Amino acid sequence: MQQGIMQQGVDLMLYGMGTVFVFLTLLVIATAIMSSLVQRFLPEAPPVIPAPRPAAAPAGVTDPKLIAVIKAAVDQHRAKNK
Amino acid sequence: MENFLGLWMESGLHLMQPGQVIMILVGMVLLFLAINKNFEPLLLVPIGFGGILANIPGAELASSAVDAALHAAHPDVMAAFANALGIDPAAGVKAIKHAYEVASATHHAQLANLAADFGYNNGMLYNFYSVAIASGVAPLVIFMGVGAMTDFGPLLANPRTLFLGAAAQFGIFATVMGAVALNYFGIMDFSIADAAAIGIIGGADGPTAIYVASLLAPELLGAIAVAAYSYMALVPLIQPPIMKALTTHEERKIVMTQMRVVSKREKIIFPIVVLVLVAMFLPSAAPLLGMFCFGNLMKECGVVDRLSDTAQNALINITTIFLGLSVGSKLAADKFLDPKTLGILALGIVAFGIGTAMGVIMAKLMNKFSSQKINPLIGSAGVSAVPMAARVSNRVGLEANPQNFLLMHAMGPNVAGVIGSAVAAGVMISMVQAMTN
Repeated sequence: MQQGIMQQGVDLMLYGMGTVFVFLTLLVIATAIMSSLVQRFLPEAPPVIPAPRPAAAPAGVTDPKLIAVIKAAVDQHRAKNK
Repeated sequence: MENFLGLWMESGLHLMQPGQVIMILVGMVLLFLAINKNFEPLLLVPIGFGGILANIPGAELASSAVDAALHAAHPDVMAAFANALGIDPAAGVKAIKHAYEVASATHHAQLANLAADFGYNNGMLYNFYSVAIASGVAPLVIFMGVGAMTDFGPLLANPRTLFLGAAAQFGIFATVMGAVALNYFGIMDFSIADAAAIGIIGGADGPTAIYVASLLAPELLGAIAVAAYSYMALVPLIQPPIMKALTTHEERKIVMTQMRVVSKREKIIFPIVVLVLVAMFLPSAAPLLGMFCFGNLMKECGVVDRLSDTAQNALINITTIFLGLSVGSKLAADKFLDPKTLGILALGIVAFGIGTAMGVIMAKLMNKFSSQKINPLIGSAGVSAVPMAARVSNRVGLEANPQNFLLMHAMGPNVAGVIGSAVAAGVMISMVQAMTN
């Protein structure tokens, strides 16, 4: 019996570890095949990027006064963070 | 005066045994670790509290009706039990207890009915245990919830990391050998089923460990669950020294390439691929992996968000409460205060260490054969312990190179470890049951 349990332990280790490796190897292969098949035959539509709204921007954006204000603010910020 | 005497005889102070005092203290230590040190609090709070409840003297919360009857040892009841078991009624309570333990399931049911006839009831925690753990329900439901929380994206982007999850399972089997060796040298008395149940601690996966222990070694379940959850909480302390010892500074600095984007369809098909492979090659792992894949499919398919939401929140929380209390019910003094518990705690930490080391070594081995280098630190995440082990890989990697974020890369082997330990559990259950029958 004493010898028996040692033998059982070795069996468990060899078969157990073997099974884990074989199974996960199969899984690696299956996953790789699946991924390549999906990428080739079932590619997802590329995410639709909503087209930038054409010229909906109000004319005010190009207001030279506003641009000057923004420019001044940015310059001030840069000067501060030097 | 007689009433007073009766009250005193019924009181906890009168009935308390030293073992129960110690176990109540153990339960309080678990509560302390959970509340004050934040050790896996979701599990250790219910386990610790259940452990205290199970050891309240006189309440017999964790005992079956038969155990309660044997404990009370009323002569009429004992005579009826001895009769049912076919032994001499004069043999004494000890002999009846022993005969009960080795008796067949038919006899067990018969005695349970007898005990019910004499007015004994199952304790509350015993009922929780039979429903949640002995039936196998709670660990499997939790596994489903874990599946619903798992993102296989990093694994699908780099399937090779499955090998790291496989290598880390060596900790399980090395520990089985350790337990068998302890038995061989006569230090402790472990059967092969005990050894397998102890080994699964190395899988670093609570529900898997509880599932295997409940099938193979229910009497060790308390110690195994406590060891598994305590060591999972200690992963950030156990792993880094091993990882650093096995890698050079240069290896730890390896930056891994950005992962590709994994499409939704791949994520939906993956659990089905796993399920088909299980069905074809490894039916013994079907309960664990089946529930796991089911949970994951619910999450990824996107049409049953309500079910997926329940599986990963409400249901897993409810189940965790009953699982914890049920594990606590196994912290009875006569089972837990045993040298075997020390052996289990010692073997458990060895299992964690070996698993970590094998994951790292496997990663280094893969680097020898492949041009696409992987950082060996992510190998240690192959012992499941999601997501703690992956965070540890990330942290140790950042120490070597503050620009190197390994977290997502480490999630690959991390979830591979979950699959690996479920496979290992399935193999062990079927092999051990074949050996012992």
